[in-house]
Amino acid sequence: MATYGGWAGKVLRVDLGTGKITAENTIEKYKDFLGGGTGIGYKVMWDEVPAGTKAWDPENRIIFSCGPLAGTGAPANGRTAITSLWPLHKKELVGTGHMGGHFAAELKFAGWDAIIVQGKAARPVWISIEDEKVEIKDASHLWGNGIYRTTAEICAELGSSAQVAAIGQAGENLVRMSNIMTGNSHSAGGLGSVMGSKNLKAIGVKGSKSVKIAADKNEWKKLNDYILSLAGANNQWVVPKTPQPWAEYSDKGSRWTASKGVYWGAADPPVETGTCDPHDKHSIAYRTHKGIFDFGDIGEKYTVRMDGCHSCPIRCHIVLNVPSAERYGVSGYATNTCIGWWGRGILKTKRNTIEDLEAAVVGKHMTDDLGLWCNYGLIGRTLHYLYEKGVFKSVLSETEYNSIPWDKYLKNDPEFIIDFCRRVAFKKGEFGIAMGEGIDRLIERWKLDPEEISKDHYLVYFSNGFPKHHASENGGQVGMLINTQYNRDSQCHSHSNFLSSGLPLEINKKLGAEIFGSPDAIDANGNYTPMNPYKAKFAKWALIRKELHDSLPLCNWMFPWIASPLKERGYKGDTSIEAQLYSAVTGDKKTEAELDLIGERIFNLHRALTIRGMGTKEMRKEHDYFPEWAFHDENGKKPFEPGTNVMDRDDMEKALDLFYAELGWDKDTGAPTKETLEKLGLKEVAAELGAKGLLP
Amino acid sequence: MSEQEKRVIADSEGNVSNLLGKAISRRKFLKGGIFSAAGVAGMTLFGALGAYAATEGKVPLLVKSKGVILAEPSRCVGCRRCELACTEFKEGKSHPFIARIKIYRNLNFGPKGVQYGYWRKEGKYGNSRIIQETCKQCAHPVPCAMSCPNGAIEADPVTGAREINSSKCVGCGICTRACPWEMTAVDPETKKATKCNLCDGNPMCVDACPSGALKYISWRDLTKEVAVRQASIAAVNDSCNQCHATK
Repeated sequence: MATYGGWAGKVLRVDLGTGKITAENTIEKYKDFLGGGTGIGYKVMWDEVPAGTKAWDPENRIIFSCGPLAGTGAPANGRTAITSLWPLHKKELVGTGHMGGHFAAELKFAGWDAIIVQGKAARPVWISIEDEKVEIKDASHLWGNGIYRTTAEICAELGSSAQVAAIGQAGENLVRMSNIMTGNSHSAGGLGSVMGSKNLKAIGVKGSKSVKIAADKNEWKKLNDYILSLAGANNQWVVPKTPQPWAEYSDKGSRWTASKGVYWGAADPPVETGTCDPHDKHSIAYRTHKGIFDFGDIGEKYTVRMDGCHSCPIRCHIVLNVPSAERYGVSGYATNTCIGWWGRGILKTKRNTIEDLEAAVVGKHMTDDLGLWCNYGLIGRTLHYLYEKGVFKSVLSETEYNSIPWDKYLKNDPEFIIDFCRRVAFKKGEFGIAMGEGIDRLIERWKLDPEEISKDHYLVYFSNGFPKHHASENGGQVGMLINTQYNRDSQCHSHSNFLSSGLPLEINKKLGAEIFGSPDAIDANGNYTPMNPYKAKFAKWALIRKELHDSLPLCNWMFPWIASPLKERGYKGDTSIEAQLYSAVTGDKKTEAELDLIGERIFNLHRALTIRGMGTKEMRKEHDYFPEWAFHDENGKKPFEPGTNVMDRDDMEKALDLFYAELGWDKDTGAPTKETLEKLGLKEVAAELGAKGLLP
Repeated sequence: MSEQEKRVIADSEGNVSNLLGKAISRRKFLKGGIFSAAGVAGMTLFGALGAYAATEGKVPLLVKSKGVILAEPSRCVGCRRCELACTEFKEGKSHPFIARIKIYRNLNFGPKGVQYGYWRKEGKYGNSRIIQETCKQCAHPVPCAMSCPNGAIEADPVTGAREINSSKCVGCGICTRACPWEMTAVDPETKKATKCNLCDGNPMCVDACPSGALKYISWRDLTKEVAVRQASIAAVNDSCNQCHATK
């Protein structure tokens, strides 16, 4: 067998029911699926978890996987993909959670490409991995503790350089809205309870091995320097927020917030970001000042530094120090990013205030220690929505309703966050149980009107239990199509990273035309034209790249790079970076098109899993829903008028037609055809679906 | 004998200050036969110190590195690109365990590891400060070189930094225990020690840092500024006795 760089070569399998620990060959079994990430995840789910299995059944698998690039210096490879059945989906179909940090790299350094966990332990355990030495250890002293203490205890035992993925009390208590955390600020949403159902508190890993790079070391350095030269700021914004001496353009929405006179104000001594000329690779980490982006100008003063994942020069996490938050019994130091600060959304604090920062710090510590998830921020919006509609008053007993400190809620007192999080994590009362079940089960439980919820512009509930995630506001039909495809929020940033580059529309159109065949693939945000085949190509490409990124891994919050900050390149990025990195690291030379084909295979396997799990091929009718809010503008604007994201129903039906055609899926059902699956090397998948009558 | 070597001998007769900053390669010395006068004892001494020159009754010469890597914790963002660059561009593999700059072990809980009250200590679970550990390029004593039973740690002719002569290294790991900062490591794959040699004056870690938290500066003594990581073992041979009175 050929030897490759990149992969560790082994997949670890731990059966918690029997206590059996085995190893499998990554290349032999999983190379067709990139030997990593969601590729391995979906393959294991397809081969081993029959339709009808529920998320908390011992037969369910939970697969932690990285991929060939994890652990190398390839920029932005810190992602661990966690694949399992998704507890929040009503039918508990396949879903993935993803965490950054250093867990994936450490797993590779220990000599493993993935961990497949199956069965249920008789009592609480954790999995200890130290290179080849893998043990299932008693976790009775950890059970009932938060994630912070669990991590510290495991690191005290395994060594403080260990990386730990753990659940908190929420996951233990089978709260569906629970997560898995690593490295203090990195969480994989939605899957905490799957670990809890297996009595698995944590996985600790420590490695002393290497990840080989197949390419010559000078070539490897050259490639790294080239890629860094094309990097933008967080989410690949390639223009600064304010005019800079080096910049031709600027954009108020940009995450490239660095400038002369902007500081990490709480650093000792304070550190100035400077103007961050894109040609200076030693200031890449300063480009995004998340203190300003996440909290407004006031955030500057409380910013200690920026943080993020393994090997990534673009730092998107921020470390705050807000000493006044300590009066709520938490550390003033808090690290997180974007929606990771969701705890503050339990209140309605105003941006750019100290109250908002305090709420963020308290919220971070509560949610990240208890291991709660937000469903992309929907939990906070649901709380506010139901409170304003008076739903709590009508569904809760008077005693319970009065036990909830609503006065603190109305005063934006962070103590409400603490109370709320404990109710949910410990399933206290009807309120705590219901809020932790996720919106679909909440609708059923409290007999809410699904139609009204589907129309609501504040909740922006999409379908299948999740809210929109870069939908119509990013590429109109493109974002909408992408949001229909998964069994959780789509988490896809391939389209939004490019559409929000900050470059003028004409440049984006020119860059887009080179990939999708026409400038018509690209619209200005909030000013959409009717559907066309190029947008269908764009949507397909975005989804394929997302699966590629989740399997290599590369961060889909940064990649792909259609644009770059370099004027001398006409702002062109390079969409073959993924293929160049894969080829250099593994030595398995692949072109961009060849790698995209693997991405398409992985994406189609996800679709096949969804079809098999639902037991119907009628995806167009039963799965790919559009929400009602998308078809109504709050100000009465019509589709295709400037200044609205409202979509047209017939146009979206046409969008599905063109999208299915582009993917080789059947127009009526939205299911992949036999020919498409076979062409993608999924012959056995086609055969099984055929035998079950699930092919169009 | 080269002009440079002649100069070294001339200087070794008296003026020590002029010599500071000059790298003395042990190989060059031996080749030049400088130790013919010092005899066997001198050989032993030199073998132990790697780059320590002493002649009978004369002022001892210290060889020190031309440069040292200075790390600023307040600028470190914890991406570990320095660690990765260190081994990827030297050994062609990613291997933080043997990297000559250490981030991974301080990342979550700081240099002292997990302690009670970790939320007030260093690392990502504390005040979030990440202490980058670099080789101090000790001038004297040089614990790693002095402790090596095989004299495998020698001065690099270009930078003066001590480096591992892998043909002599047997991977015993004594240097790792001798360094108060635990900055050498034994590669579990090659069974050879690794130590910072400053990459011929263009350190890859400095080149890789996206936040300018690392700087390559002219040598200065950092050994007193940085808390030690471990109680190191003492030098294992008698080399110290030859310069320092023990009675």
